[in-house]
Amino acid sequence: MENAIEVKELTKFYGSLLAVDHVNFEVKGKEVFGLLGPNGAGKTTTVRMICGMLRPTSGTAVVAGFDVSQKPQEAKRRIGLVPDVSNLFGELSARVNLEFMGKLYGLDKKTRRERIDQVLELFHLKERQNDLIKYYSKGMHRRLTIAAALIHQPEILVMDEPTSGLDAQTARLVREIIIDLNKEGRTILLTTHQIDEADRLAQRVGIIDRGRLIALNTPEQIKNTTEGMRALEIKILNGVDQQRWIPIISEAEGVDKAFLVEGKIRILSKDLSQVIPTVVNFVDKHGGKIENISVAQPTLEDAFINLTGKSIREEPMSKEEYLKQRLPRSGLR
Amino acid sequence: MKPLTSLMHSVWIAENDLRQSFKSVRHVVWSLLFPIFMLFTFSFRYGATGSDNTFLIPGIVGMTAMFGSINETMSIVWDKSMGVFDRILAAPVSSTSIIVGKTLAGAVMGVISALVLLIIGRTLYGVSFVNIGAVLLIILLASFSFTGIGTIISGLASEPREAMMLSNLLRFPMMFLGGVFFPIEVMPMPLPYVARAMPLTYATEALRTIQTGSTSIVFVDAMALLAYTVGTMLLGSQILMRIMTR
Repeated sequence: MENAIEVKELTKFYGSLLAVDHVNFEVKGKEVFGLLGPNGAGKTTTVRMICGMLRPTSGTAVVAGFDVSQKPQEAKRRIGLVPDVSNLFGELSARVNLEFMGKLYGLDKKTRRERIDQVLELFHLKERQNDLIKYYSKGMHRRLTIAAALIHQPEILVMDEPTSGLDAQTARLVREIIIDLNKEGRTILLTTHQIDEADRLAQRVGIIDRGRLIALNTPEQIKNTTEGMRALEIKILNGVDQQRWIPIISEAEGVDKAFLVEGKIRILSKDLSQVIPTVVNFVDKHGGKIENISVAQPTLEDAFINLTGKSIREEPMSKEEYLKQRLPRSGLR
Repeated sequence: MKPLTSLMHSVWIAENDLRQSFKSVRHVVWSLLFPIFMLFTFSFRYGATGSDNTFLIPGIVGMTAMFGSINETMSIVWDKSMGVFDRILAAPVSSTSIIVGKTLAGAVMGVISALVLLIIGRTLYGVSFVNIGAVLLIILLASFSFTGIGTIISGLASEPREAMMLSNLLRFPMMFLGGVFFPIEVMPMPLPYVARAMPLTYATEALRTIQTGSTSIVFVDAMALLAYTVGTMLLGSQILMRIMTR
């Protein structure tokens, strides 16, 4: 299989709100493809159209050779969807949930029983298989959601924010599962707003922002879009609001971009030798003291900021973005 | 998709819905408690024995079918808000199968709930029905028509609270104007006309007629319920279909 998924000019309007704007990309067979973007960028809407849960306003999505609009059942049969939140039936046990999913995917009784045993074993849920899943922990929910997506052994797995809201240990486990599933030969399309996750897992990444695909390449190639730029990290002395310094430092000569990453001010510049003394003087002039300063390699996040002009994690969701996220699930039109 | 496969999908969806409802004992008890409470309250008002209860119990049975069916169908709204509806939408199941499955679950719940009240009526008040086949047919038709109303509410409501308000807006006027507690003949104008616009009125009238051993108006009532079923189902499924294929 050359391309597992082909998306051409995919567009979705919710009323007058443009959620996905003429998006084009292909997911090659057996690759992990990451769709990276901030909340409300259009990732989930794109995924829902690929999975046949939402009708595109225009454009096409082809899954395993089947046009999703023309042959939705054929396309759906080849996809396993792991949504961003566990959406199994809380009042039922894991086994009954999986049984139901197996039935909907047309598995006969014997195959169902075998597959259920297999996935329960694989995801270490066998001991709790008869407990109502409303009593499961978040991590168990996530594992069961992936198990449910695998019950019909799909060739393509679509994972929407697979580690969102999980603790570090469970997130690591889910990432390991993704790597294992890909090694087994499954194509994986994952959406994420976590840059390091896309960097670590995906062989190719598409960056989506405000409904438009603005970059598509390997993580390494995307990082190269910051070519010629270097990164500098500084921390102003303790007790000072680092965020306050961002607009001030952005004014300094030679600074291309300044933003906050994990409590440190990250500066992108084409000429570090000039910018280091300038920034030090600038901070000093504005009454600050630098606690530490270090030079770093540009990351995917730097590339993201370079491309979009904003940080992926710090931008609050606008009202429009909130509505866009809410619309598909609420049934409002 | 083959018709048999589509039908099986509907049956599994209905089975899954009912399994969830019956898994929660509290859910079943609470949903039956209201009609039982109304039965006890009004039977005290009317007197524990005598012809008043033969008037009251058929109405309560119809009302219970209404509550059971609409409550069950409103699980669609919960499913939408919890995202579990998406799970079914992502599976290779046709929209028609989903609607038929949800409808089946609603109708079955309506029939089961009504049967419980029928048994209580017979055991505690000695009110029995001779033609049980006709009773079951009316309860089934009534349950399907109430389920149709439930699907309309579920399609229109964007979240569970809105669905609750919408359903109360329809259920409570139906309960008081549908001839359950008072004959529509004693209602002042124009309330009898309003009552005639409600499916519960026909269910109550038919069950009451069957209870007296007559069948005079039952056919007309059954046809009215059938018309309601077709009408509400068509409208409800149109609304749901728009949501599912948007």
